[in-house]
Amino acid sequence: MLRRAVLQTFRQGLAQSFFKRYAVSLTETTVTHQPIETSNEAGERSVPTQKTGDESRNTVVVAPPEFRFMYPEFLPDPAMETRNRLREKLERMDMLQRRSVIEIPEFYTGSIMAVTVADANSPNKFARFVGICIQRGGSGLRAWFILRNVVDKQGVEILYEMYCPLIQKIEVLRLERRLDESLLYLRDALPEYSTFPLDMEPERRLNNSVVPINPLKVKLRPRPWLERWERQNLQGVEDLNLPQRFYDKAEKVAKPWEKYDLMLHYRKTIPAEEQEKIFAEVHSQLQQQELKRKLRRRRGPDNEQ
Amino acid sequence: MLSIVFHKRRRLVRRLFFNHEQIRTMSRVKRRTTHPPYWHVLKNVQRGDEKISSDNLRFVREVIQDKYKNKSPIKGSDLDIEKTEWDPKTKRSGVIARNIGVQHMWEKDGKKVICTVLHVLDNHVIRYVPPEEYAKSIIGAKVFRNRKPLGCLVVGAEAANPDRFTKQYCSLFNEVGLLPKKRLARFIVTPNAALPPCTPLTAGHFVIGQAVDVYGKTIDYGFQGVVKRWGFKGGPASHGATKFHRRGGTIGTGRDKARVWPGQKMPGHMGSEKRFCRGLKIVRINMKYNVIYVKGTVPGPTNSIVQIFDTLLPRRKFTEAPPHPTYFPPEDGTLPQEDIWDSNLHVFGSPSISV
Repeated sequence: MLRRAVLQTFRQGLAQSFFKRYAVSLTETTVTHQPIETSNEAGERSVPTQKTGDESRNTVVVAPPEFRFMYPEFLPDPAMETRNRLREKLERMDMLQRRSVIEIPEFYTGSIMAVTVADANSPNKFARFVGICIQRGGSGLRAWFILRNVVDKQGVEILYEMYCPLIQKIEVLRLERRLDESLLYLRDALPEYSTFPLDMEPERRLNNSVVPINPLKVKLRPRPWLERWERQNLQGVEDLNLPQRFYDKAEKVAKPWEKYDLMLHYRKTIPAEEQEKIFAEVHSQLQQQELKRKLRRRRGPDNEQ
Repeated sequence: MLSIVFHKRRRLVRRLFFNHEQIRTMSRVKRRTTHPPYWHVLKNVQRGDEKISSDNLRFVREVIQDKYKNKSPIKGSDLDIEKTEWDPKTKRSGVIARNIGVQHMWEKDGKKVICTVLHVLDNHVIRYVPPEEYAKSIIGAKVFRNRKPLGCLVVGAEAANPDRFTKQYCSLFNEVGLLPKKRLARFIVTPNAALPPCTPLTAGHFVIGQAVDVYGKTIDYGFQGVVKRWGFKGGPASHGATKFHRRGGTIGTGRDKARVWPGQKMPGHMGSEKRFCRGLKIVRINMKYNVIYVKGTVPGPTNSIVQIFDTLLPRRKFTEAPPHPTYFPPEDGTLPQEDIWDSNLHVFGSPSISV
């Protein structure tokens, strides 16, 4: 009973939080006005001890459902051949260790970030790069993201491994999401969509609990392109204006049945029960780290060396 | 006249008059059998429809618990470990572990290193066979035909419910009073590294920075073509090539020998063979979870069982004494150090690297 109740709240919370957090900035949100729990405010939601049969006198820690989107690299690779609980647990411990040293902030594809890396070949031994995150992937210590910018009319993309100890600092200058999970089409878009000033200042967020979705529709350069964008159901791209034969071929090649394939989606994701367990494990430590950082920020840069 | 001698273990390379530069001996070696070896004891019970009542089942479980409850691993036996000295020619026991996957770590200069994570299972020594006795056995006689005989330690790992095994198999463990183990392995040891039965072997048996050999069964690729199996180049993808993209091509000349030589590389079953990975360096040991991180990759897929032992490579052997004959944790139960890292490796809790 307990598990079912907790699961239900977890899943409902997942759906609700998804819509709450990723509200479109320009249109009105039709979300019910409930007290929105952010990662900072959502403490350990303890369940009354009467219901806990197995864990006697222990409160059941449930991480907020937003964690699934904020820390996706804590979830392991769903491929069953390479999964092992002990190794995943050890990897998570190492990840938390690294996170205690450096702040790896919440970011999404479409956020503008600045990364400072130790570089022996740079004049002052550190190299800073600003760019828009066009893709992120990997799980565990292998998690990576790609930043793109146009420097001196040359498009530059750099892949950073999130847990590499050479990284000194990761800043999110603008936290937002786009209409697509992968912005690889920016390579074929007009360069102004990928250009960001290298000395960009971090922007303050108006509403801390909601991550805005930027509904920008990007204009692509004329063909040839690197990929067949008309076959990919891109939301963040303006009308491609291609001859009809492209769309006909795209329809022929399309796999519209995949969205009904439950097993396919099951195999590509970690089940909700496991996600809940994983985030419950890391939740308290992440919270502590966040609190420490907040305190440090409040004390100000004077107290820091 | 050239006489060509086939040796199983040595590859003969001779300058011959015709095109064949070397005699293909190694691919003739019989690699796999489906029948078990002669000394094999039937392990798993063929469970029929047992129709045992729940009361009786509970009774059986109680009996099992009573039998193994008070049998804690004992160190004392007729083979007590005195202060046996380590010398460079000592061969220590090995350990049975499970390959639980791969983790990426970084060295202090920022270079990324792929490390295989090996989980040392609950190893216990089952039996020690002294050199004279082992040399009399069929395998021992073969191994030590021209060498001084060494002893053999039988080590078991992964304790399981005795219900699953036959009485014969459980009898292997009766003398030591341990729960029957799913996996058994033999390690060749010198007599001064012998261990009494019931001795537990843990991750502390190894030392940071030492080189180990890992022995396991490789990934089973199934029936594979010649390109993947032997690394042939195949044929051109285009330029008019008809039905010749991943084929082997010629399999012999027409002139000399006028037949296909034995050992000709062809498609066939690939993988699922016992192989060694030699000289892998241990970069991190986690004593709490009994886990070793080894630099490089080991044979076999994730979650497969491997054997780890000190390396045979002469240049990477021990210069100082390791825990001899094995590591014994301190009596009061405290761990000296939970997580030991190699000096070259970047510890995750330490500050970021600045070059």
